[in-house]
Amino acid sequence: MTTDHRHIGRPVPPRHHDRLVRGHGRFAADLRADGMLYAALVRSPLPHAEVTGFDATAARRDPRCALVLGPGELAARTAPIPTVWRLPGQPEDAVPVAVRTARYAGQPLGIVVADTPTAAADLAETVRLDLRPLPPVPTLADALAEGARPVVPGTGDNTAGRIRFGSPPEEVAAALSRAAVVVERAFTLPRLHHTPLETRGVLAAHDPGTGLLTVHASSQAPHAMRQDLCAVLGLRADRVRVVSSDVGGSFGSKVLLYPDEAMVCAAAVALGSAVRWTESRAENFTAAYQGRGQQATARLAVGADGRFLAFDADILADLGAYATQAGSGPAQVTGLTLQGPYRADAAAATVTGVHTTRVPTGAFRGYGMQEAAFLRERLVDETARELGLPATELRLRNLLRPDELPYTTHTGLTYDSGDYGAALRRAAALADRPRPPDAPWVRRGTAVVTAVEITAFAPTALLEAYGIAWSGWEGVRLRINHDGTVTVYAGVIAVGQGIETTLAQIAAEGLGIPLDWVRVELGDTDTAPHSDLSAQASRALTLAGGALVTAARRLADRMRQLAAAFLDTAPEKVRTRIAATAAPSSPDAVFHTPDGARIAWREVAHRGYRGWGRARPTDPIRLEESVDFDPPQLTFAHGAHAAEVAVDLGTGRTTVTGYWAVHDSGVLVNPLIAHGQIAGGIAQGLGQALTEEATVDADGLPTTRSLREYTLPASPDIPEDLVIEHTSTPSTVIPGGFKGLGEGGTILPPAAVACAVAAAVPEIAHTLTSLPLTPPRIRAALRAAGLTAEGDIR
Amino acid sequence: MNVRRITMRVNGTARTADAPHHLTLADHLRTALRLTGTHIGCGTGDCGACVVLLDGAPVCSCLVLAVQADGREVTTVEGVADGDRPAAAQRALVEEHGLQCGFCTPGLIVRMAHAARHGGGEQDVLAGHLCRCTGYEGIRAAWRRLAAEEDGR
Repeated sequence: MTTDHRHIGRPVPPRHHDRLVRGHGRFAADLRADGMLYAALVRSPLPHAEVTGFDATAARRDPRCALVLGPGELAARTAPIPTVWRLPGQPEDAVPVAVRTARYAGQPLGIVVADTPTAAADLAETVRLDLRPLPPVPTLADALAEGARPVVPGTGDNTAGRIRFGSPPEEVAAALSRAAVVVERAFTLPRLHHTPLETRGVLAAHDPGTGLLTVHASSQAPHAMRQDLCAVLGLRADRVRVVSSDVGGSFGSKVLLYPDEAMVCAAAVALGSAVRWTESRAENFTAAYQGRGQQATARLAVGADGRFLAFDADILADLGAYATQAGSGPAQVTGLTLQGPYRADAAAATVTGVHTTRVPTGAFRGYGMQEAAFLRERLVDETARELGLPATELRLRNLLRPDELPYTTHTGLTYDSGDYGAALRRAAALADRPRPPDAPWVRRGTAVVTAVEITAFAPTALLEAYGIAWSGWEGVRLRINHDGTVTVYAGVIAVGQGIETTLAQIAAEGLGIPLDWVRVELGDTDTAPHSDLSAQASRALTLAGGALVTAARRLADRMRQLAAAFLDTAPEKVRTRIAATAAPSSPDAVFHTPDGARIAWREVAHRGYRGWGRARPTDPIRLEESVDFDPPQLTFAHGAHAAEVAVDLGTGRTTVTGYWAVHDSGVLVNPLIAHGQIAGGIAQGLGQALTEEATVDADGLPTTRSLREYTLPASPDIPEDLVIEHTSTPSTVIPGGFKGLGEGGTILPPAAVACAVAAAVPEIAHTLTSLPLTPPRIRAALRAAGLTAEGDIR
Repeated sequence: MNVRRITMRVNGTARTADAPHHLTLADHLRTALRLTGTHIGCGTGDCGACVVLLDGAPVCSCLVLAVQADGREVTTVEGVADGDRPAAAQRALVEEHGLQCGFCTPGLIVRMAHAARHGGGEQDVLAGHLCRCTGYEGIRAAWRRLAAEEDGR
């Protein structure tokens, strides 16, 4: 390989951007099909009601109407969506598509298909629903109250299973009894809307002749969607194709097949035609699954010397009306990752799922780890205050050192590599700056927090041990085409994270060729290797990239062997010389021998395709390598974030005035993309720290239904002083040394901001256990502590 | 249904098509005229993804009826480039990594290209455009590069 083709580590702009800035995206709502019809959903306006009537007579009589499927027709045409990750004791193991009882406002009850989008929406409005209201169960407190109505009929209460992770109870009790200080707090992490700028969308086309169902969807996981569609519609896997083209943001909200999407596909099959559905923003706010939604009581026990003795938490997870395919998964991960990057004698957590009459919750970037970081880092912060120690000092004292890795936590996670202290010290140093003069009613504070991040979520043994019925491994197919160009097929998909560019970089580096010879093809279940989890859980680059490192090495070896055969020499005598801008057929892209014999890259590929040059008749012909990668264990990224905030004692408003992040994701394939992932994650985390909360009223009806009621961070909300740095500790378990980074930016901002507010106003530190830190919430804490703008001046 | 035949000059070309009275300009561009570069993120004028120029002024095309654009001039993201050569706003966003999924990008490009020529403070230009991917860092850098380039002319 020549140094011309060092692609890993180069900040190459993502290759799909040129297309997107010209308006040539292919998002679900942009796609068309011959004779396409349009769907609108009929949804429950009430959070909890028996559906005693679904009268679509008016719609059916309208000439614009092609089809109506109500609960009865849906029951005949669909089976429930199976779940894959359940809590022990969870009462239900599937999510129904056809229902006779609505369990959340916005739940789809039926579907109307018509010749225009407007007609479909208008006709859906004419469907007369007869609803017998049932008592809403909007909050965890309501759900767990004595005599609460069970959301799942026939169950005794609203708990939806329970699991315990970590040290046995007697070890936790022993650690607590040795403690000099035990700090315990009650925490609330609200539900959130993912709010991708592109709402959900499906174009389903059924060909009655061939029996093929082709579904284009804004999906993070087309293979999982296909499996679920097969189960729901009773179709054979070889008759269902799911394609994700451009996805306009997802963040965990597009990982599962939803009932409304299944209805669109059922309608396409029923009609034998193409049906498109584009979710409205209001639907996205009410019917798309939400993130987070936990309450926890957590404690940290510390010895007199400041040594961490035990982390322990009781976590209640608001699963909503149904446990979805992965249901309690995020809350389970909170329990699994509570210990974080610290040493402790014991760590344990109990996770209890709870049903409410709200839209189900599920994956959201940070997947339980943001919640764990908030509990843990706030507890550490409170403990430092109690002990009278600087919080950074207490953290450094208890952080695992590089020489202690690999380290297995009390919940069984094995950290492979990293220098947690280095990241923390660096973030603290970056944030250490003179404070500007503030108005007398403004208090300023800084805090540094830290976390590890599960990445490469895959190992088969691990998923099996947790009872997760998804495959974790990732496959790639790497092909040198007959003209010497290269195509990569992978099961992971592109959701804006730039994976098509980073995979091209890995392939080009492994083959020693220019980047523009490589095309990356993703997202089509007909051509992509199988992938259940695909683009989620910070795994795409580590797993597909790890597989690709191996595939590229094998294919490079085969090309060299073929070239040696054509040059009539030994493979070890063959060198390549490929100019950075050469085409595959160019005289500047050749294999050569020391004595000057040469053959063009393209010629080797072309002859290879004819089957020439093989040493033995049994040698493979096609210049293609297929590699499946199942890593031996997880690989852990880590990071430390520092926030500086200014708190207005009069209004209670918190402004983030500076933010410094240090991340370690091992070997970075593309620093530009890595930076963007962290920066975007931080912005989402800041929104979650300060403004975002999906709310309902006392009747259980959603009150955040538009972008005016649910405030996303806008440009002015992101601090000018935002610094992101990377350290690099290569993964010891992933070929190439890569670690994931899709979620890292999101995990720490709520903890960093809350701890910084605590530093600014220690008088209210103990109250900072609920998010978001809105002005009314902070103002109430300030007033309770006797602090006012005027009072502070005096 | 109330339908009117309307003609607008879109990206320099006269385009005539039927538009139901209630149809928004955004939907008309995307369906009748097949210009799907204009994206609809909310339909309520809150996100800015659908911004186009109407007679040279930026508007949320989800808040304008197609019939209101009859006889007027419309510029969409497909029309800001100079042939194959991307506009400065497009180049700046690519080079400064000001997009990830690219869904919010079209409205931003139209707005930035307009503001670079006609002036506008950073907050005025960017605050009306929501992006859920980038955290705005690359977008702000792109705007500053673009504004500096325009100042340099």
